[in-house]
Parts: sequence; structure tokens; C-alpha cells
Amino acid sequence: MATFAKTELLLDHKFDPVTCRHTMNGWCSVLHCHHYSALYTQLADDCGFMDAKKLLAEVSEDNFYTMLVSYFEDHNIEKVEDRISIAEQYYAAVGLGKLEVVFAGTESAEALLHHSHVDEGWKKKWGKRDKPVNFITCGYFAALLAATFDRSPRTFVVKETESIISGAERSRFEAAAV
Amino acid sequence: MAIDRKKIIENMSKIEIIGNEEGLIDTCNVLVQQLPTAFWNGFAERLTRQVDPEMLESAEWLLVNAAHECGYHTGYGIITSEEWKAIVQPMLENVPEDILHGAYAVFTAWGWAKSEIIELVPKEKMVVRAYDCYEADVVGYGAGAKMSAYMIRGVSAAFMDLAYGGDYDPTGKKGLRTFKCDQVKGIECGDDYGEFVVTRA
Repeated sequence: MATFAKTELLLDHKFDPVTCRHTMNGWCSVLHCHHYSALYTQLADDCGFMDAKKLLAEVSEDNFYTMLVSYFEDHNIEKVEDRISIAEQYYAAVGLGKLEVVFAGTESAEALLHHSHVDEGWKKKWGKRDKPVNFITCGYFAALLAATFDRSPRTFVVKETESIISGAERSRFEAAAV
Repeated sequence: MAIDRKKIIENMSKIEIIGNEEGLIDTCNVLVQQLPTAFWNGFAERLTRQVDPEMLESAEWLLVNAAHECGYHTGYGIITSEEWKAIVQPMLENVPEDILHGAYAVFTAWGWAKSEIIELVPKEKMVVRAYDCYEADVVGYGAGAKMSAYMIRGVSAAFMDLAYGGDYDPTGKKGLRTFKCDQVKGIECGDDYGEFVVTRA
């Protein structure tokens, strides 16, 4: 396996005393707790009037795609390994968990999630369950891949095939180009 | 009232929050994340705009409820945190009203909304104004008809639950949802500020 010097994620956190807004690398950001993310996830999962699981994943993909592409452009991040490393570091820095991309190509990819805000939060509230709950990370991984390989959102379909919430030691996300 | 909003905002806004080696942020007895506001707005707005009109109220209730539970548990975590004890607690004279005023200073410092209480009838009613809030960003031009500050509604009701709804219940079975909140003005609707009225449920 090739080795490379890890490109460090640069975080520029600011608080505007006039608007009282926080920005992270220029993006307005906000702290929310696991109750909020778990309840949004449950809302998406339970929603009887539309496919809100897909909606949550797509909103995640759209937002993180825009943010990652912007970061890569602003910091001239060109190499695939650097882009993936930055995306993994960002995911951890904002508290979503520890995501490790196992492999990635323009047709398929796989990632492992060793620690997860969404799964841990859900477990704290309601305990384990059989079906996966991490729609946010499905979207994030799709965004990571599209941004890394200069593709558009919705290029990759991501499925969570093993889940911490279901008792697995780590979650597994498998991606395929559509 | 001894609450020094400016001091609380200055101090609480400086707290650096970043994921640990597991990529998790454990603070105030909850796990937190720091995501782009556009993500939360995106889900709420797409959901409420895409549902059939007759389902809108249900969708909005679910969004408010998420914030209500979040505000109840995280709010309790905040007012029992070391940061609160160090910065806000020495200012408290009139409890629980000063706790509420302090909580909105923290609410402001954490970027939820630049907001304050403008009317408080103990145990009965609270009116909150938000002079800037990320939830209003769903409208970037002109004025919409739909009020969209679901998070502020839920958290405001939760803060009154904590103040006047009895002892904190970690299960949320008692104490939660003793109050409700209606949004009566919205920046996203062309008003100068958002306004929120919390009353007994």
C-alpha cells in the first residue's frame, strides 16, 4: 500500500458578535445534540407521507458536496488521497464520528464507520434496532465520492450494509455509481 | 436582574468544540455535532414544501418536536454544565427567571438565534424575540408566507418546561411538553424580527 503525508484539515472557526452566528470555513454552522439528530433521523425513518430517508440523505449529500468542493478549490486539494483524508478529518472534526474510506474509485467504494454520532445518539435514546439509521452518512459518503472524483451529486448510490445500531462493531457503507 | 448577557455571550461563544479521536463531541451530558445550518434548513424546508398541504401541520409538528426534546435535554445539560456554573451561575438572583434569561444568552452564543426574552409571566407565558436566526435563511429574497423557525419554537417551549414543568426527567415522560410555542412573526416572512409566544400546553 502506498503511503503519503497526511494533508491536515484547516478549520477556521469564527463568531460574529453582531449577528451572533458561528462560521466554520465560511459556512454558517450550529451546534445541535444527539437528541436533535436522532429525532430528525427518526422523523425521516417514520415519515409516512414521503421518502424522507432519501430526502435526508440527499440534503446531506448536497450540503457536504458543496462544502467539500469549496474546500478543495480554496486549498488547491487535487490528489484523491488528500481529498479523502480531508473529508474523513472534517467528518470527525464536526462530531459525526470516525469514518474510514477503505477503497474508492469512480465506479464503486466502501467505507467503515468506527464511531458514529447518529448511531450512538439513537442508541442512547431508544437502544438498538434491526435496520440502519445513518441516512446522513449515506449522503456524506456520496458527497465525499462525488467531490473527490469531480462528479456531480447523485453520481453514487450508497447503502449501509452493516450497522453499529444493529450490533455490528462498525458500520459499513457500500457505494456504486449509477 | 443580574444577568449580564454580553458577558455570557462573549464567554460562551469562545468555547472551542471539536471532535475527539473518535470523532465525537461529548459535552453538557449530550453528544453534539457542528453542522452547516444549510443542512438543517434544507431538510426542514424541503420536507415542509414537498408534503401535501393537508400534511404540513404534521410535518411541522415533527420538526418542532425534535427541537423540543433536544432543547429539554440539552437545555438541562447546559444549565448543569461546568461552563454554566463558572460563567452564568454567579449572576443568578431570581430563580428560575434568571436561568431563562441566561439560557437565551447561551442560546445566542451557540449560534441558535440572536434572541432574548421580552416578556415573562412566571409559570404562564414567555415572549421571545429573535433578531437574527439561521432558520430565516430559507428565504434569501423577498418574504415568504410560511414561518419556518421550528427549532426556536421547540427549544423555547422546552426552556419553559425546564423552568416551570417540574423536576427534570431524563426519560422525558414527565415535565416535557407542559408548554407549547407559537411563532407569530418571522424574518423569513418580512418582519424585522422573529417573535415566539410560549404558553401552557
